[in-house]
Amino acid sequence: MAKPLSITFEVESSERWEAQMRKGCLEMAVLASLWHGRLYGLEILRVLERDSQLVLAEGTIYPILNRLRVEGLVQAQWVEAEAGHPRKYYELTAAGRERATQMAETWTEFSAGLGYLIEPVLKSAPKANMRRLAAKKGKELE
Amino acid sequence: MTTDAQVNDYLAHLRTALAGMTLAEREDIVEEIRMHIRERSADGQTGVDEILARLGPAEELAQQYRTGRLLQQAGRSISPVLILRATLRWARTGVEGAVVFVIALLGYVMGFGFLLLALLKPLFPARTGLWVGPGVFDFSFRMGLLPAYPSATVHEVLGWWFIPVCLMVGPLTILLTTKLIQLLMKRFRWQLPFVTGAHTQAAMMTG
Repeated sequence: MAKPLSITFEVESSERWEAQMRKGCLEMAVLASLWHGRLYGLEILRVLERDSQLVLAEGTIYPILNRLRVEGLVQAQWVEAEAGHPRKYYELTAAGRERATQMAETWTEFSAGLGYLIEPVLKSAPKANMRRLAAKKGKELE
Repeated sequence: MTTDAQVNDYLAHLRTALAGMTLAEREDIVEEIRMHIRERSADGQTGVDEILARLGPAEELAQQYRTGRLLQQAGRSISPVLILRATLRWARTGVEGAVVFVIALLGYVMGFGFLLLALLKPLFPARTGLWVGPGVFDFSFRMGLLPAYPSATVHEVLGWWFIPVCLMVGPLTILLTTKLIQLLMKRFRWQLPFVTGAHTQAAMMTG
């Protein structure tokens, strides 16, 4: 009885950690996706789906954009599009560019340091990784 | 339910759940989500059911907007009510938030306690005061559960100065609590509950 329970706990806490991590990265990812120019919400989602594994509940992106707008990091504008309906486009402001640069630098330093630290872990513990992936796969199949 | 009715139903829920925002803000949000749904379904591959499911429940979506807004307001405002509401929401997400909420609550209870004492002093002059003695330094109103101190060792030291002192210390405590909480909110920005909720997390995990 004890064993399945502890496995469940392990999977849940690691997933919780993963969710927290993604949550923390999302703001940076959204700002970065706007680096080359203005995009509307769904386009940002598609960029994130394509370029990162930051899969998220689609609705989540809109409150984040709203908050970034209030913080002055992006500006929004409704544009009458050729699609026949208006789209709300988002664009980085100067402050947003600055923040994105800062975040990207911090992220790079941080992940380089961590990458070095976890290298031996990845080398010597492939089994743990396999088990986690298997658990994830099992969950998807449900 | 037809797909149109389904979408309208979802948006109506969203609009209701966004109550408290200005009309313009609310309509802007609803319109943006409406366009998202329209655009998603334009490719003809994704059904409305799935699009709505991927957006998450309307109430939860609205909650994310409202939480973000509440925390922003709390960051600027000095209203204890706003600060407490924001920390309460933060508290629901974990230990750090709960600790901050308790700090806020204690700070405000103390601050308003001083103000209450200032009000009680003229009504119960002999029972309200700053009592000082060996091991005692106590702003209090001694009645009921709190028996009066034995007068030989513990004295009330402020007399009528008690009122202005409480009127200064009370608001100062409230202000310092607010500033402290705002500082903590800034420092722990990444833990703030902008993107929480069971659905969101589940969707994030299973993809």
